[in-house]
Amino acid sequence: MEKQSYQYTENPLHVTRREFITIGGIIVAFLALPAVWMYSLTSSNNNYIKARTKGLYLDDEKSAIRVSHANKSVARYYKEFGGAPLGHLSEELLHTKYINRTKMLS
Amino acid sequence: MHTEKMILKHPLSVRIFHYLLILSFLPLAATGVILYFKPLSESAMNLTMHIHVVAGVVLTLNAVAFFLMAFDRVVLFTKRTFSISTNDIKWFMVLGGYPQKILLGKKIPVPPMGKYNSGQKLFGVCVLIGGTVLILSGLALWAFPHLMPRGSVAFLGSLHTFFALILTLFLFVHLFLGIYMFDDFKSMIIHGKIPYDEAKEMSPLWVEKEIIPLSNK
Amino acid sequence: MNEAAKTYQKGEIPGVIAIKASVCKGCDACKRHCPTGAITGMFGSTHSIDVDVCLSCGQCLINCPFGAPYETSDTVDEVIAKLKGSNVTVVGIIAPAVRVAIGEDFGLPAGSLVTGKLYGSMKKAGFEIFDNNFTADLTIMEEGTEFITRARHAVFGEKDALGAEIGPLPQFTSCCPAWVRYVETKYPALIPNLSSAKSPQQMAGAVAKTYGTKVWGKPAENIYTVGIMPCTAKKLEASRPEFKSAYEYNKKNNRAEAIQYPDVDTVLTTRDLSRLFKKLKINLANEKETDGGTLLADYTGAGTIFGNTGGVMEAAVRTAYAVITGQELKPLEFKPVRGLKGVKSASVTIKDAKYNKDVTINLAVVHNISENIKPVIDEILAGRSPYHFIEVMNCPGGCINGGGQPINKSGSSWLGAIKPWFAWT
Repeated sequence: MEKQSYQYTENPLHVTRREFITIGGIIVAFLALPAVWMYSLTSSNNNYIKARTKGLYLDDEKSAIRVSHANKSVARYYKEFGGAPLGHLSEELLHTKYINRTKMLS
Repeated sequence: MHTEKMILKHPLSVRIFHYLLILSFLPLAATGVILYFKPLSESAMNLTMHIHVVAGVVLTLNAVAFFLMAFDRVVLFTKRTFSISTNDIKWFMVLGGYPQKILLGKKIPVPPMGKYNSGQKLFGVCVLIGGTVLILSGLALWAFPHLMPRGSVAFLGSLHTFFALILTLFLFVHLFLGIYMFDDFKSMIIHGKIPYDEAKEMSPLWVEKEIIPLSNK
Repeated sequence: MNEAAKTYQKGEIPGVIAIKASVCKGCDACKRHCPTGAITGMFGSTHSIDVDVCLSCGQCLINCPFGAPYETSDTVDEVIAKLKGSNVTVVGIIAPAVRVAIGEDFGLPAGSLVTGKLYGSMKKAGFEIFDNNFTADLTIMEEGTEFITRARHAVFGEKDALGAEIGPLPQFTSCCPAWVRYVETKYPALIPNLSSAKSPQQMAGAVAKTYGTKVWGKPAENIYTVGIMPCTAKKLEASRPEFKSAYEYNKKNNRAEAIQYPDVDTVLTTRDLSRLFKKLKINLANEKETDGGTLLADYTGAGTIFGNTGGVMEAAVRTAYAVITGQELKPLEFKPVRGLKGVKSASVTIKDAKYNKDVTINLAVVHNISENIKPVIDEILAGRSPYHFIEVMNCPGGCINGGGQPINKSGSSWLGAIKPWFAWT
């Protein structure tokens, strides 16, 4: 029905095969580039966390003493002042109690 | 009307694509402005966002479907909108003769144009690039803002705002001239055909180089 | 800003984090990082924080692409005034995580270990240095001994020498204030499982104003303790009214105390400290490296790894192993608790030298609690948990990715799968 109502149309050969491939290629690249960019950014989004983690393990590796019970200054604290772990002074200064905050809502 | 020679300017696939564009982009632009200025209540903003997202999905599916099913038209459109010459500069210097025609009723000589005049080509470039950016950034903002790097999401947000502004402003020009040029309006919105004589006057290079008569069966 | 806040004691800072409505775009990114669902406001409309549910962890703040959440508590100017004051000894308590992140605010790559430059910058600003890694070692001594006590009670029926009650297993670490508040507001039944040990920050405050008076030769009321933390929840923790142990101790021992003082006077985040340095025109990147100064900056490798998820557990294992078996752990690197997996677990079978018996200890490490804690808690509440000792850190990756750390534009805290999350409500 439509065919009778118009007498002219666009020449389909107006775009050559070479032009078609070139332009088509550019369009696909234009679409693929942002997608690839966004994906590569996203897959590296934890890198800063891993870098900081590595920094601390490096600090550990370079330490001369690497176990808490061998910290001479901590030993000195206990000897000169603190007493012993879980001792009376520790309970007073270094331990605490917690609060049931659900009771505060009622 | 039946004696006038007609050219098929916009085939059915193109018109359907354009209908869906109208149905999706107009709500997108309107809700987009509301989302930017946040003037409404909480549930109204939520509804606005729902409309924005649904319209965005429709626009995206429409673009993807047309891209896959009518890739040749996409290539054709890209070729036409990105072909520039000195004629385009001359056209912009007189603004295509439209202000003179509309405001002064005067007709001035205008450099010969192809299927799309210089202004339409500029709009086409904005739509191709802006539309792609809006779709991709919109998707990232909707579905990935928590896992993409925060600097990139902020950047995509700025791009989204920028291209949304450009297309929305340009849209007013497009809507006005698209209705004012009434033969073209009928062509895109109703039946896809344009009178041969109208086309020869407005798009002489198109008629000269790209139009062929239908062969009789 | 600070509405009637019900789940806070008098004196605590209610609502350390708030959201700027003019900046918020309602994109819902923050909601996906929040461990308690404290963020209200529908998708598309501006969001706000329910302070009674919020832990002040700051994950929303460091992940919002538009910078809408902000800290309502900023004491940088107050600290600068104290630093410039003549009769005040300002003590900076530096967390482990600060030294691998503060460099980022001065142009250095993420993860740069800048301890020496940090000390130098702090000394230039007028701080005395109290390295929280020292207190991390102290925490291991206290909490490790506590765990051994609980374990030997559970396995061998050993009782406390003074008849005091011994807590149940599994034992949770208690150094993360967001985690502690999570238990207090959502699972108070698990409060007995929390270690009674304070966090290293709070231990440091108490030590600074008691033992520290001898170290620096200054009276407690002239010591102003500043926690320098990767964490916004530490601001809330320091404001807990019960944390005035040093004042109570000093009063009991007849030091005339006119006014009360808290163990930790104020907390600066890593970001806050960077701003402080910049206000004082100190460029950390160019500072010469110096040492900590006193024994209160002396720490071991076990203390410094506290900032990583699994670090507290690894430090505890190194010491508990040595105490129980009488021998040092070899190798010291306890790999099963390292890495970004949500729940890591390990089983250690060792011979208890005191009882000459083999015991198997099941350990777990949980971080990124918004994604990972529920199944672990449900197991415990159902009585089916296989674990004896569980380290919990609120933040993905541990404190190194805390809410107070420098904001890294090239990343996000999301550790889960890369797949779309379509916001709707």
